[in-house]
Amino acid sequence: MANVDVAGPSRHARPQGAWAPVTRVTRRFLTWDRPLVWLLPVVLVLLFIGVYPLAYNLYNSFREYNVVDFPRRYDWVGLDNWRKLFTDGRVRGALGTTAVYVGAALVIEFVLGLAIAVLLNSGPKLAGLWQSLLILPIVVPPTVVGVMFTVLENAEYGVISWLTYELGLLDKSEPLLGGTGRYAKVAVLLPDIWQWTPFFVLILLAGLKALPEEPLEAAQVDGASAWQRFVHITLPMLRPMLAVAVLFRLVDLLKVFDYIFVMTQGGPGRATEVLSLYTYSRTFQEIQWGYGSTLGLAILVVAIVLANVYIRVFRVEWD
Amino acid sequence: MATRGGVIQTAWGPVARSRGRRWRGAGTALRTIASALIALVFFAPILWWVTAAFKPSQEILKAPPSLTWEPTLNWFRVVLGNQDPTSFNVEQSGGVGRGSGGGTFYSIPYLRDSLIVGLGSTLLVLALTAPAAYALSRFRMRRRQDLVFWVLSQRMLPPIVVAFPLYTMYRQLNWVDTYHGLILVHAAINIPLATLLLMSFFNEVPRELDEAAMLDGLSRFGAFWRVVLQYTRGGLAATAILTFVFSWNEFLLSLVLTEVDIRTVPVASSTFTTAFFVEWGYLAALGTASIVPIFVFILFVQRHLVRGLTLGAVK
Repeated sequence: MANVDVAGPSRHARPQGAWAPVTRVTRRFLTWDRPLVWLLPVVLVLLFIGVYPLAYNLYNSFREYNVVDFPRRYDWVGLDNWRKLFTDGRVRGALGTTAVYVGAALVIEFVLGLAIAVLLNSGPKLAGLWQSLLILPIVVPPTVVGVMFTVLENAEYGVISWLTYELGLLDKSEPLLGGTGRYAKVAVLLPDIWQWTPFFVLILLAGLKALPEEPLEAAQVDGASAWQRFVHITLPMLRPMLAVAVLFRLVDLLKVFDYIFVMTQGGPGRATEVLSLYTYSRTFQEIQWGYGSTLGLAILVVAIVLANVYIRVFRVEWD
Repeated sequence: MATRGGVIQTAWGPVARSRGRRWRGAGTALRTIASALIALVFFAPILWWVTAAFKPSQEILKAPPSLTWEPTLNWFRVVLGNQDPTSFNVEQSGGVGRGSGGGTFYSIPYLRDSLIVGLGSTLLVLALTAPAAYALSRFRMRRRQDLVFWVLSQRMLPPIVVAFPLYTMYRQLNWVDTYHGLILVHAAINIPLATLLLMSFFNEVPRELDEAAMLDGLSRFGAFWRVVLQYTRGGLAATAILTFVFSWNEFLLSLVLTEVDIRTVPVASSTFTTAFFVEWGYLAALGTASIVPIFVFILFVQRHLVRGLTLGAVK
């Protein structure tokens, strides 16, 4: 192979003139045989979106934008922003809200998704049709989902609210959206559950269909009950898929923003203020650019730590 | 019911053949009904929102939702046809009110902006990532695995972390509110998806094909361009569609990096809800116009969807 390349006529043509040294170097180093040539554009864009912003945030976290004096400027504040991070009650609140949101969404979507996948894999008629209908929520823009659920959960005329009243779950004096905000977290969780439970269904369905039959048959011959076969054979064999599904949901849930921004903007009070919403409001509404950058970095640290712990513990692998 | 070798397959394992035929039929019927109900629960909000786009105001605000109503196209006339809402007979159409809040309800400009940014970023991301994915799939390199993980880790980056630094940078470059600025950002956030997904498709093309092509006199690039890409057209299409959908749905960065000249559909939707007085019909019509085309595309690439959403980890 390599011989064919070298034998090509262009390799032997010596560049002439003033540009000769340059072209010789580019010919030598910028050939299609070098991986870097293929990878360079992607690496540059990733530096632009993945490295520069982090460096800028770090730099910004040691200063604060001064909105009082004119001309407007940044003041150096040393470690003030970082100190504030650990004493700020809103950070603790947002951290708690995020933890509740992420935890509840993961558990509910996981359990529902697994149950639905098992059902769809158990041989109902028209399984393909049901699966196609389940896919649709995933691709609806999250802001549109937020708008839909704002109407569905409206205390006066929302269909979901009406259902909660009819079923006796809630009372009109304390509805999903509005009121004192007691159920606000549930209100902003519902769109996520609706949109992303199908994600678990799809992944687990793919996993279930790829399972080998022999272990299940062998277990049945040995007299294992359906439940035992499911817990001791099917679930362990699904583990890699479950791990990947949970990892992706975990990562995305830590970013959750769209539904809450559209539905409650963090309210009532701060009942639904998750970390990204808090960072947004500090940065773009309160114009505390330095502290906002610090908060952004803190979110990133939380995300990286959680994802890495998860990847280690569940040995998720890519290839 | 799927049968393999005469044994009925269920998630719970093969069901014993000894069960009677009638019993089996009842089980299937039960499973079918349960599946249909669940599918309906997930489909219902979409169905309700799409039908709301054809309902007069007072019918939208009804719980339980009304099943029969006088269909109206007035919302679409305003949203897609730029008709003045006050020109409708209020009593007949059921009170189509005036638009309010941050912008007009005429949404063709929003759909156009979303389309330009979506198509632009999809083309850009394919041009950038196809060669990179080929290199990751074919070349032996030191630290290849680290590189794959670096690309993957970008998928974990919360947009709020990059929003402000990019905003500052774009301010200085005068890129706020420009198509190329938003296209570049949308392309950048889709790089992990496109790179890893294409890599998984390229991995399925046997290396021997490239080697044979190069023995026949094609360069490395020729083997990539004329052989590998030809074999992965389906994968390229799936990658393109998924990239487009994610760009179409992206909200936070579009919100921060645009002001008045450009407004994508998600940003427009969010500004309507914060208005003091909202006619939901406009939002239902805009929502319908923005999701129905996506549904058509996504059903085409259904079988690659799982792979796409997991960046190639689950096939």
